[in-house]
Amino acid sequence: MSDKEHIKSLIREAELYRSQGLLEASMERYQEILQLVQKHERFSKRKKLIDAVRNRIRTVEENLAKIERETEQPELPEDVQNLIQRLFSFSRNEDTAAMEGAIALAKFGQYEKAVTEFEKLLKQGTLPLEAAKNILRCHLNFSSPKVAIGQFERWVSQKEFSKGDLKYLRDFLEDIFEKRDIKADLPEVPGAPHERARTEKREEEVLDISSVGFQLQSGPLMGKRVELQVSFQSGNTISVVIPARRKDLIDAFEPGLRLPDLQCYSLIAIFNGAGRVSGKTMITSGPRQGDYTFDITIDEA
Amino acid sequence: MVNFMAVFNARDRIIECKIVYYGPGRGGKTTNLEYIFKAGKQYTTSDMVSINTKGDRTLFFDFLPMGLGKIRGCDVRVQLYTVPGQPKYNSTRKLVLKNVDGVVFVADSLEVRRKANALSLKNLQQNLAAQNMDIFKIPLVMQYNKRDLDGQLIPIMPVEVMERDLNSQLKVPSFQASALKGTGVRDTLKKCLVLTLRHLQRELEWTR
Repeated sequence: MSDKEHIKSLIREAELYRSQGLLEASMERYQEILQLVQKHERFSKRKKLIDAVRNRIRTVEENLAKIERETEQPELPEDVQNLIQRLFSFSRNEDTAAMEGAIALAKFGQYEKAVTEFEKLLKQGTLPLEAAKNILRCHLNFSSPKVAIGQFERWVSQKEFSKGDLKYLRDFLEDIFEKRDIKADLPEVPGAPHERARTEKREEEVLDISSVGFQLQSGPLMGKRVELQVSFQSGNTISVVIPARRKDLIDAFEPGLRLPDLQCYSLIAIFNGAGRVSGKTMITSGPRQGDYTFDITIDEA
Repeated sequence: MVNFMAVFNARDRIIECKIVYYGPGRGGKTTNLEYIFKAGKQYTTSDMVSINTKGDRTLFFDFLPMGLGKIRGCDVRVQLYTVPGQPKYNSTRKLVLKNVDGVVFVADSLEVRRKANALSLKNLQQNLAAQNMDIFKIPLVMQYNKRDLDGQLIPIMPVEVMERDLNSQLKVPSFQASALKGTGVRDTLKKCLVLTLRHLQRELEWTR
């Protein structure tokens, strides 16, 4: 292939890649063309060709810059937000599904709508700590640390949460500030211990757990091994659903129950841990009506 | 343990399943769905939802609900999704892939996209694994897109090379396609639906 033909074929490629949005590949080809043309001083219309290629390079550069500048997660119309909420609520348990929908909104950058949904959940008393943590996360992502602190201060003054829960939320916020190197003064929770709760320290490092297994330590099912599929996970708190027909198991599970030999199955690893039952809710509607959702909070290693 | 998005409503005999179009950015996933939407109007149950940036890149996902009518006495409803292909949107891909029932991997035939294809397939494997799913077990169909560029003096990979690169271990059904012209789009989807429904039939025992 002569140099002229080679250049023609490179131009064809560069144009096609540009038209397909493969801008980096297009840029490489134009650069190659430019180098080739600059080498051949005897080309007729050499200067014209160089100018044309440089123009193309500039256009591709501008397109690349435009993509970089574009908002990563623009605010979507309400009907699309509602669709996201509906499509990404997988659980049959209404409360868990509502939490999943709100989390999906936050993950897609629809923070204002997500906050509204988390606030609704908080009012209803559905997974209140998870809702509160997500509200703080959203504020930090779309507003500022000041807004998140303001929200926390309101919770402290409203006494909506127990002292323990407020301390938990304070530690959660403090951890995020540390991770993001944000210097801010967080109000103390009056009457709460000063040392930091250990459970939050590595929340974002908790593996996705698909199921858990454990042996019951007391009651009629003592010694029996139980395995349950995880229906929802937020940090180190997982939710499992126990069908109504397993009354023996439902009765054995009460909030506060310690699970000292918890085996957690994730895809990359099976790890042993301990935890406690932190919530129990009967499902009141939908196909799993009558079944129970249990929250299990896993201790930090 | 198997995770399904599929919902089988035994009382009303309705089955809903989720198929995700996966692959490298600018490979033609959205174009596949656009063609299905245009050509298969009788099966689509509402408009296609597509959220793009100005640069025409999928930012979040595309969504197209379809109704296939009655199959073995069941009303079969399918949700088609695409994921954003750009590497930086992995958290969105993970979310869209959640509880998937079947996957179409749209590979780009352009030689310059060889590495991007391989990376995207690896990423699919990892994201499936993160939700306890095995790429070797999930209903999966491979599509080699942009075959219309063959013979247009643009370097594209021979199908044999793509098979070797992407399908030598998986050994899943593969189709040559031009999503832009519609060639191979229908066959790809049909095969994926057949595999997915067969798989669900086994798992959910919905024909009983």
